[in-house]
Formats: sequence, C-alpha cells, structure tokens
Amino acid sequence: MIEHTVAGERLLMLPEKALFWRDAMTLFVADFHLGKAAAFRAAGIPLPPGTTTDNVERLAAAVEKTSAERVVFLGDFFHAKAGRTEKTVARFAKWRDENWEIGLVLVRGNHDDHAGDPPPEWRFTCLDEGIKLGPFFAAHVPHKRAGGYVLAGHIHPAVSLKGKDDAMNLPCFWFGRDVGVLPAFGAFTGSAVVRPQKGDGVFVVADGSVMPVTGK
Amino acid sequence: MGPLQEWIDEGAADAAPALRVLWITPMRALAGDTHYSMTRAVQGLGIPWTVGIRTGDTPTAERARQDRRMPSALVTTPESISLMLSKADAREKLSGLHAVIVDEWHELLGNKRGVQTELALARLRKWNPRLRTWGLSATLGNIDEALDRLLGGGPGRVVKGVSDKRVVIETLIPPEYERLPWAGYLGLHMLEHVVAALDGSPSTLVFTNVRSQAELWYQAILEARPEWAGIIGLHHGSLDADVRRWVEKGLKDGSLKAVVATSSLDLGVDFSPVERVLQIGSPKGVARLLQRAGRSGHAPGQVSRVTCVPSHAMEFVEAAAARRAAMAGKIESRHPVEHPLDLLTQHLVTIALGEGFDEAEMKTEVKSARAYRDLTDAQWDWALDFISRGGDSLKAYPEYHKAQRDEDVRYRVLDGAIARRHRMAIGTIVSDASMDVRYLSGKRLGNVEESFIAHLSPGDNFVFAGHVLSLIRIENMTAYVRAAKPGSAAVPRWGGGRSPLSNLLAESVRESLQEWLEGRAREPELAVVDRMLKLQHKWSRVPRAGEVLVEQAETREGHHIFIFPFEGRHVHVGLSALLAHRLARTRPVTFSMAFNDYGFELLSRERFDLLPLLKSGLFSTENLFADVLESLNAAELSKRQFREIARVAGLVFQGFPGQPKTNRQVQATSGLIYEVFARWDAGNPLLGQAEREVMERELEFSRLATGLARMNRSAIVIRQVPKPTPFGFPLMVSRFREKLTTEKLAERVRRMQVEFDEASSDTMQAGIQMDLLP
Repeated sequence: MIEHTVAGERLLMLPEKALFWRDAMTLFVADFHLGKAAAFRAAGIPLPPGTTTDNVERLAAAVEKTSAERVVFLGDFFHAKAGRTEKTVARFAKWRDENWEIGLVLVRGNHDDHAGDPPPEWRFTCLDEGIKLGPFFAAHVPHKRAGGYVLAGHIHPAVSLKGKDDAMNLPCFWFGRDVGVLPAFGAFTGSAVVRPQKGDGVFVVADGSVMPVTGK
Repeated sequence: MGPLQEWIDEGAADAAPALRVLWITPMRALAGDTHYSMTRAVQGLGIPWTVGIRTGDTPTAERARQDRRMPSALVTTPESISLMLSKADAREKLSGLHAVIVDEWHELLGNKRGVQTELALARLRKWNPRLRTWGLSATLGNIDEALDRLLGGGPGRVVKGVSDKRVVIETLIPPEYERLPWAGYLGLHMLEHVVAALDGSPSTLVFTNVRSQAELWYQAILEARPEWAGIIGLHHGSLDADVRRWVEKGLKDGSLKAVVATSSLDLGVDFSPVERVLQIGSPKGVARLLQRAGRSGHAPGQVSRVTCVPSHAMEFVEAAAARRAAMAGKIESRHPVEHPLDLLTQHLVTIALGEGFDEAEMKTEVKSARAYRDLTDAQWDWALDFISRGGDSLKAYPEYHKAQRDEDVRYRVLDGAIARRHRMAIGTIVSDASMDVRYLSGKRLGNVEESFIAHLSPGDNFVFAGHVLSLIRIENMTAYVRAAKPGSAAVPRWGGGRSPLSNLLAESVRESLQEWLEGRAREPELAVVDRMLKLQHKWSRVPRAGEVLVEQAETREGHHIFIFPFEGRHVHVGLSALLAHRLARTRPVTFSMAFNDYGFELLSRERFDLLPLLKSGLFSTENLFADVLESLNAAELSKRQFREIARVAGLVFQGFPGQPKTNRQVQATSGLIYEVFARWDAGNPLLGQAEREVMERELEFSRLATGLARMNRSAIVIRQVPKPTPFGFPLMVSRFREKLTTEKLAERVRRMQVEFDEASSDTMQAGIQMDLLP
C-alpha cells in the first residue's frame, strides 16, 4: 500500500478508493453515491443489480483492513431521493448493524442536499460546512481553505496517462498544494479528467492497486 | 394519383380531407423542397387539398395547428412519425392514410432509421391493410431486397425510370505531378487547380468527405480569392439551419458561385444551376460518386459532370477504379439491419406511450416488419421484460415502472417524466454531445462537439462555419465566441463520416494495380502514379493478384508490420485486431494499430519473426468468429458501438441545453453503463447486439472472412524494408490509432506519464473544468 505525506501526516491510499489516516484511525471516502443504479431504474433505465453490494463490500473491506474507528464521507452519500429503495437501504443497514461501534460522519455534498441524510438509526453526524480534523479540513468541494489542508471529493478525478504507444484515463488520488481530492468511491460513477500541476502528487487506481505516476 | 382519384370518387370535392398522404423523407433539408413541389402541384390541380410539413424544425405552434386539423398531405421524417405514434390519438390521426411515399429509401435502408420506418409502416398497415406504399430509391445493388423490406414482404413491383442521363467522371490532374504526396486527406496542394476549375464554371458544388475538410477548403478558397467573399458558401450538418437555408437558396437561384459541402448536400434537392461537381478526396464508393455527380446538370438533356480531386497518390488509382466500375454498371448494395433489439425496446415504449399495446397483437405486428421476421420468442420476451420489469423478470424491481400493464392488460407508460424523456430521445441518430456556438450577441452559428471545445481554453482560435473564431467562454453548454483574425486556428474534428472503400471499389483498385503490373494500364490517373508505384515496386513490391504483401520495418518508434490486403478500411480494422490478438497470444505485448483502405499497420516494441507464425496459422480462418469477437473486445470496439445502442434503447439520455437539473441525476455516459452491464450482467442481449453490430457493420465480418480466406490462398510476400514505402508511409503517420494489449495494466502504467501543467500561484481550480464535471 502506498503512503503520501501531507501536512506532516502520513496518508495511506487504498485500492478500494479510500484514504486512511492512520494516526487518527480515520478512513475518508468520497462520493459514495449509494442507490445510484436504483435511481436510474426509477427513471426507466434498467441497470443490473450489483453496484450497491459492491459499494458496501468494498467499504467493509477497507474498514476491516485498516481497523478504522471512524469513517468520514466527503459528500454525496446517497445519489438521489429516488434511489433510496428498500433493498439499497437494507444492504447498508446490515453492514451498519454489524459495525455499530464505528463513528460515521457525512460532510454534505450537492447530492445530499436533495437526496437527504442517511436514516437517523444509522447514527451519522451530518455537517454542512465540513470539519476540521487536526491539520486537515474535510469538505465535499475541493476549494482552498484557510483552516487547513482540504481533503475533498466531488470532481471524481482521473488523469490522462500517455506513453509512446499507449494511453488511458485512470481514476486517481490527487494531492495539490492546498487541497487533496479522492477518487469517487461509488461502483457506478464516472470520472472527469483533471490537469494536475507540477509538484502535485498523483496516484492512479488500477487493477486492484494504487500506483504513483510520473510526469513530464 | 390513387389517393386523389379516391377522394374525387368520394364526391366531397369542395373541402380538404384530413391526412391522406404521408411523404417520408430522410432529411429535413429535403422536406422544404418537397413541400414546395407538392403545394405547387395541388394548386396547379386547383383542388382544396392542404399540404403540411412536420419535422424537428417545425415550430410548436404549427404542430399544434396540425394536431387540431391534419393537412391532407404531410411531409415528414421517420423520427417525426414515431413521435406521432407516441401520442394517444395516433390511430385517429393516421388510420385514414391512403398512401405512404418513402423518398430516398436507399438512404434509410442500410441503417436503423430504415427499421424504424419499417416498424411505423407495420403499424400503419395494421390500421389500414389496403395502404399503398411507394418507395423512391437511387440505383442499388440489391433493389429487390429494398422492395421487400419496404412492403413488409407484401406484393409489389419495381418501376424503373427511363434515364438517358450521361455522366462524365474525370480526374483533376495537375500539370506537374512529379511529387505527389503519399498520404493526407486534405488535398490542399490541389488548391490552385481547384480554384482554376471554379473560375471556369458559373456554379460548382465542391464535395468533401468530412466537415473539418469542408471548413478548411472553404477557408483556403477564400484566401486564394478574397473577392469571392459572399458568393461562395459552406454547408454541413453542424451549421445553423438558417445558414444552411441561405446556402441552399443561393444554389437554387444561381447566386452562389461555389459551395463547399459534405454529404449534407448529397440528397434530393434540385439545384438546377449547378454545372459541375468536384469531389475532394476519394468518393469511397461508386453509388456515392454517381449520386454526387447527379447534383450537376440536373436539367433534362444536360450532362452530369463530376471531377475527382485526389488528395494523395493512391486516390488517383481509386478515381480510375471508380470510373471503371461505374462504366461497367456496377453499384454497391445497402444491407438492411436485422432485428435490432435496442430499436425494438424503443418502439415498444413509443407505442406504450401512445395507445398502449396488447402483447400478442404487438408481437404479430412487429414480426410483420421484415427486420423482425426472425425475432425469437426469447428475444421478444426479453424486450418486453426490459421495458416493463427492468430486465430479468426474476429480479424484479419495485422502483422500475417504465411500461406497466393497465386494467385491460395493455402495456402503457404512465409516468410523465419517463414519457417526456422518451419523446425527446426518439430516433436512432446518435451524435456526440455537442455545444451551441454563438457570438456574444447571441447569434447562433451551429454546434460543435463538446470534446473539441473541452480541449480549447478561452482565447484559443478555431475555424467554424467559415469563420476564424476566438473562444470567449463556455456557459450553459454554449461556447461564446467572437470573430478573430485569420491565422493559426484549430479545426474541430467531428466523428463519423469516414466511409471505407466499398468492396466493389476495393476490388476495382486491385484490378487497376494488376493492369499496371502487366503494363496494360491506360487510364490517365495510372500514368500520374506511375512513378510512385515504380518506387513501391523497387523498394518492396506492388502485390499481384494472388499475392498479399507484408512489409516489416524498424524505426525509432519501434517495429512495424505492414500488411496490404486492399480490402477496405473496415475489414482492415477487423483484420488488424485479429492478427494483433493472435500475435499477442504468443507473448505479452502492446500493439498500436493503424489502418486505411489499402492495409494496416501493427506497431510494437518487440520484433516478431513472422514466417513461423504464418506457418502456424496466423491467417487461418479456423475459429475466426470467436477470435474476432475476443479481439474486438480486447480492443474495446464493442464498447464504442454500445454508445448507439445505449442511446436507442434509452439507457443514456442526451442532455439538452437549458434542461431542468433533475435529469442530471440519471445521466451517465454509455461507457459507464457498458462497464456496469459488462461486469454485472454480462449476458445482457444489448451487449450481444453491440458485438453483432461491430461484427456486421463496423468490421463487415462476411467481407473480413472472405478477405482472410483470400489471404490464406494467396502467396505471402514478406519484405524487410529499410524505410517506410509509399504504401506503408500513410499508415505510419496515421493519427487515428487503436490499441490492443495483453500486458498487465501495472506494467503499462509504469511506462506512461502524466502531462503536468506549469505550477501557478492559482489553486488547483485551473485543472478542473467545472462545466464538464460528472
């Protein structure tokens, strides 16, 4: 597993597309988009089952692997109101029941505003403005803040890799000078290609591993 | 005349009857012209019939007027008919039809719009079994099949017009042709000669094959003859309708000296003043060349004259080959699409939106369309499940309710939002997400692909609609621009439009080369390329009939394998993927592949010793279907084909400028949907359809199989060449490349780099284009 040091703290990047801050036993997850496929189905787009299970199983794996005591969702936990179907909710509730001792925090994102907060029995702490955690500021939108190094999501970052005879876009962790952005966690999420600057730390997620990329 | 006679027989001759005749046209541009002719005919006859027009361009108020009282005759498009079928009163409006005329049927026949028309006709015939159907078509290689499709297998016959139209096909041969370029598609080195040709004719249509080429030629001609500003025009499908109408009018009344156009002007509209047609680059097919030639000398007794302007050496051979095939009376066929499931699901929802349907009745109706006569029960059941239960009925979702059964057990769409989205998405024409291009004043110039704009920054210049423009800002899916000074500017590269050499023309090219080898070539075009062919023969070889040429070369880029089957671009796409796949099975490797109409290139970092591989069946036709299928999945070809299917089946919804935000939550790219299906529902028939469509339409599998069998019988000539040959060079410099790899992802990532921007004092916002976020 690959570490990157930001603001003097070591951050561990997981191939599950989550970020673990070991010294605070805190796991960061951005853009979970729970129930996105269900929302599509409600709109008449018949997507196959599997994405919610994948989301929850990957979260479970990341928590288990790190023994995290707290998970901070950096916005867009639910995708849409129409996606909060019985099956979807039941799937997450089951994991929550089995992991009742873990602290859950949601920094609300643009989707949460209309999709609504997680059910109260899941005991999330929901925040509008983000939260300062040590040297970090957990937020949804990756805007620079005076309060600390921002960890955020929202943009589903990917980078465009090019070689002599090869090219591809891969989702990535992207650490700039003042802001770090996590890849979208959700199993059914797209990505947007970003253009990092020299000096930024960029790590792609591919084939079940996290890899640093070099630049020119 | 039939519907008119029947109307007279009814004796109600003083009032206009409601809808009797439907005229279906493939192009909106043609609708106006047809409407005009029909109105004149009706006035000439002095009868009270009304004539209307209904296409995507028809204003809402006009449509509402028609809905209150239908005109006696209506000119429309396949998409607009489907839209009418999606209304509850469709039967009342359309069942009184006596006749349907399908114009330019050959244009619809070879694609899903043809199937869409078949489905609409099946419904209209159910309402009126005595409905007459007429189809108008240009000459086709498979006219009987075209008839059968149109009539749904019912009785009919082919009426051939008498034509003594003379067509002259010639080639613009520059006086000094010692240094012809070996590659390139623009052909701007011919500018001087083209301008001279325009000088000598009062009205000329200049056809190009793609829109970017039309833009560049228009600019170049204006630069060469600034005094022609205002009397030459530009016409292609991305331009604003007003601009296109202005150009069409100028062509009709003879006020324009020349118009640079793409296939947007291939069809129908009568431009009598046009005396001459220029074809920049290869026409790629005999039918297309003849169709374009026919745009000139439209008046009776006049000669249609088309002049090919080859953009590189081999296109001189193509021009000669095209003339030879045309003179021999050969013409391509258009192959209809067989039972597309994406369109079936779309049509079922359309009808469910309208009056709803009963399962058994609908199944009979659908199967009466020739495209679906072989539809299996399993396919039908799947389509019905897809629209009513969200796929596999065993995994029913309560939240899914696209089409539901009402108390009369008819399938209906009850959800208003689903209905609205479906109506906006009816049709099978897929375009890339595009943005409006407007001046700051708000005047609209047309639309360009979003992916092109995404590569520009404010202040960058680009060429569009015949102007050099500077991008100011992007807002609400609109690119705001202002006029810029001519100079270096980007040109949008639109997708599509790159037709492959038809098999007929490919064969004719092989014949021409054989004649040249035997010293029998008499065509002037072959004299032009004599020097190039001699060079090719000296460095490597010009393959004889019964030979396939393979060249191997090493450059700084790596090891190149060039293979020249001369089978046309589509077949070469398939062959290159297949051979790369077979080679890559021997060891992990990444291939970069390029192809054109003559051959293809496989570029890799390692060298392959081909002789033993050829002996062990590299060109074998065994396991062909499975191997090609595997290779095209490895090359992600079916993922790309899925784009159209996802759009037609309603899996992706193309957003519209200014749409309500609520739609954004159910928007995803077809690539993402493909990944979800491929991972969690690999057996979905739509994925199978994507594979089939790539096989049949993109790779032309049957041609590929024939081609490979021919290669297998041929003598393989392998030449190690010290540098790229005249045949190999165009492939080597090709920018359109595909990739096939069997290397581990991690290994590939290690060899690639990210291009970082210069660090700036700004935050990372610079690297994020907020408008294009997911």
